Amino acid sequence: MKRKLLALLLSLTVIAGSLAGCGNEGSNAGASDTAGTADVSDTTDADAGATDTESGEVVKLRMMAYNAESTRATYLQYLADQLPGIEIEFEFVSNDNFDNVLNSQLQAGEGPDIIEGGGQTKLLARAGYLLDISDQEFIGKYADSGLQAYTVDGKVYAIPLQSWFEGIYYNKRIFEENGISVPKTWDEFIEIHKTLEAKGIKAQTMGAQSYEPMMKQSIALANNMFYSDSANLAFDEKFNTGEGKLEEAWLPAVEEWYKIIEEGCLQPEMLGLSYDQALDEFATEKAAMWECGPWAVETILEKNPDIEIGMFPIPGTNADKPGWLVGGPGSAWAINAKSKHIEEALQVLEVTSTAEAQQALVADNAGSSFVEGVEIDLGDIYADCDEAFKAGNVYAPWTAAWTNGQSVVEAYGKSLQEVLSGSRTVQEALAEADTTNLNLIDAMK
Amino acid sequence: MGGKKRTRVYFLMIIPAFIGFVVLYIAPTAMSFMYSLTNWSVYNPEIRFVGLQNFQKIFTDAKTVAALKHSVKYAFMITIVQNVLAIILAVLLNRKSRVVNFVKSLTFLPAVLSIMVVGYLFQYIMTSADGGLLNMIITFFGGKPVNWLGDEKIALYSVLITQVWQWTGWSMVIYVANLKSIDGALYEAADIDGANGIQKFLRVTLPLLYPAVSFNVLMSLIGGMKMFDAVFVMTKGGPGYATETIMTTLIREGFNSGRTAYACAFAVIFFIVVFIFSQTLTYFFNKWEEAIQS
Repeated sequence: MKRKLLALLLSLTVIAGSLAGCGNEGSNAGASDTAGTADVSDTTDADAGATDTESGEVVKLRMMAYNAESTRATYLQYLADQLPGIEIEFEFVSNDNFDNVLNSQLQAGEGPDIIEGGGQTKLLARAGYLLDISDQEFIGKYADSGLQAYTVDGKVYAIPLQSWFEGIYYNKRIFEENGISVPKTWDEFIEIHKTLEAKGIKAQTMGAQSYEPMMKQSIALANNMFYSDSANLAFDEKFNTGEGKLEEAWLPAVEEWYKIIEEGCLQPEMLGLSYDQALDEFATEKAAMWECGPWAVETILEKNPDIEIGMFPIPGTNADKPGWLVGGPGSAWAINAKSKHIEEALQVLEVTSTAEAQQALVADNAGSSFVEGVEIDLGDIYADCDEAFKAGNVYAPWTAAWTNGQSVVEAYGKSLQEVLSGSRTVQEALAEADTTNLNLIDAMK
Repeated sequence: MGGKKRTRVYFLMIIPAFIGFVVLYIAPTAMSFMYSLTNWSVYNPEIRFVGLQNFQKIFTDAKTVAALKHSVKYAFMITIVQNVLAIILAVLLNRKSRVVNFVKSLTFLPAVLSIMVVGYLFQYIMTSADGGLLNMIITFFGGKPVNWLGDEKIALYSVLITQVWQWTGWSMVIYVANLKSIDGALYEAADIDGANGIQKFLRVTLPLLYPAVSFNVLMSLIGGMKMFDAVFVMTKGGPGYATETIMTTLIREGFNSGRTAYACAFAVIFFIVVFIFSQTLTYFFNKWEEAIQS
C-alpha cells in the first residue's frame, strides 16, 4: 500500500513538473520541488520575458548568419553594450546549408528576426520575405555602391556590413628566400608556380573539394578582362533576364584562367583537399600561396603565430593595371518581414550603421565600410592590395548584381571541378552556368 | 460479440500510430505528388498548374539523370558487397569462444558511430593532402598515392567502402541471430549423408537464412537509394557531379536553389523507383520461400 502511495505521489510530482515546464507563465510553484524541472522553469521564465517588452525585460532577437560568431565577436559585444534591452541569439549556419535552412524556415512562415543576406537577398525581397527599410533614417548614411546589391525596384531591403574580398595570400618568407616578387600579370603568377615547384616547394594550395575557390579565381580573371571595361557592367542586367550569356561574354577571360590548369599549377589532387586541409597546408608553410579572404587570418595565425603573410590581388593580362580582388558588399543585415520584434531589429540596424559599430565589425574580419566617412586601416597584410582598392578593383557579379547568383556560381564551380578532372572544357562549364540561370529564371515565372 | 469487441479494441490501439503515419508520411507524400504538377518555388509566391513539365525537365537534365544512376549503382553495389561479407563473417563467427565474441563486437563497433563522425574521419584518412593516412600507408609499401575523394572515377567507390566498413557488422549480427535458430540436427543429418562444408553451407545454411537475407537485402537496397549523409560530409556531391545522389540533388534543387516543385517531381520519381525495386525483390523472395518450403 505504501509503495502504491509513493508511486502515486511521484507521478503527481512528475505531472506537476511537466505542466510547469509547459506553462508560459513560468511559475516556480510546481517546479521548485525537484531540481530536474527547475531548469525548465528557468528557460520559460526567460521566454515569457522575451514577449514582455514593456516591463523593461530583455527581448531576444534571433540572428542567422553564415559568417561564424568569432568573426563578429567585437561587434556583438558592442551591440550588447549599446542595446542592453536586446539579447542577440547568434545562430551560425555554414554557407553550404544556409539557403536550405533559411528557406525552409521562411517558407514555414517562421525564420530568424535578422538575416545575413548575400547573393540571395534580391530573390528573398522579391518573394516578400524581407522588410522594406528604405524609409529608415540610417539608410542615408550608406554609400549607394553598398546599397545597390540590396535594392529591388528602388526599395532597400538590407544594410551592407563591411565589404568582403578575396585575393592570394602568400608566405613572405618563402617569397623572399626565393627572390620572388608579387606578380603583375597572370603569366607572371603562373611563372612563380614553376619557379617554386622546380625547387621542390608547393606553390599554391587549394581546397578544391569545395566548388568555391576555382569559381572565384576564374571570376577574378573575368573582373580583370571583362568587367574592367565599364561598358560591360550592363552585361549583368542582361544576364538576369537570360539574354546575356556567360559562354560568350566570359569565355576569353576564363580561357586565360585555364592556363593555370594547362600548366599544371592546379592539379586534380586538389579536388581531394577540403578548405580546412588547404588552410593547414598554407598555415604550416607547406605551400607558398593560398586564395582566401580576411576571415581566415585569425585561424592561420593561431596555427602558426610566426608566419608572415601578405595578400596580393589576382593579376590580369595588363602589367600596368593593378589586379582585381573578388568581393564587394559581401553580406548584409535584412529583417524578416514576419518578425515579431521589428522595432528592436531596426534598433540593431541603426546601431550597426554608426561609425563605432563599423569599426567593431572590421576588428574581427577586415574589410572596408560602406558607411560614408568611416576610414578603415586594413593593416600591413593588405599593403599589396592598396592600388587595387584605390582603383575600386573589387567585384563579385553574383552577389552584387545577379538575381540567381548563388545557384549559378555553384553550378559553374562544380563544372570547373570537372574541368580540373579533365572531363569538361571551360566553355561547357560556362554553358552549364547559363543553363542553370535560365532554369531559375523559368522557375520564377 | 467478443470477437467484434476485440477487433474494436485493436482498432483503437492502432489509431494513434495510424494518425501519426497519415500526418507524417501519407499526407506529405500525397502533397509532393500534387506539388510536382505545379510551378511552386520558394521565390515564386503564385502557384500554377503546369502538368508534367517538371518531369520532362528532370529527364532532359543530364545532372539529375546522372544522380539517379549514381544512387541505383550505389544501392546495388552496397547491397551485394555488404551482404556477401556479412554472411561470410556470420558463418565464420558463429561459434562460442571469447576470441570470436571479441571479434564480433569489433566488427559491430563502427555501426554505433554517427555517419557524420565516420565521414569526417575518412575525409582525413582518404585526403590527398600530404598527411593522408591511407596514402601514407600506400606509399610506405611503394605504391602511388590515390586521390580517393577527388578523382571522379573512384570517389563514389571510396564513399561506398566507408559505408561497407560501417554497416557490415550490423548486417552480420542479424545473420548470426538467424544462424542460431537453425536446428543443429540438420547439420548432423548432412554429416551422415557425407556433405562437406561448402555443401552444408549451400544446402542447409543459405536456404534457412532466408528471413535474414530478405530483411538485410531490402534494408540495404532502400538505405543505399536514400544515400545522403556520407556523401554530404565526404564529397559534397563532388568532384563536379561525380557523387551526386538522388538525395543530394533533391536538397540542392529543392532547398538551395528553391526549385521546390522540380524537387517534388524528382521525389515522386524516387518513390516510384524504390517502389518498383522493393516489389520486385519481394516477388523473388516469395518465390524463394515457396521453393524452400516445397
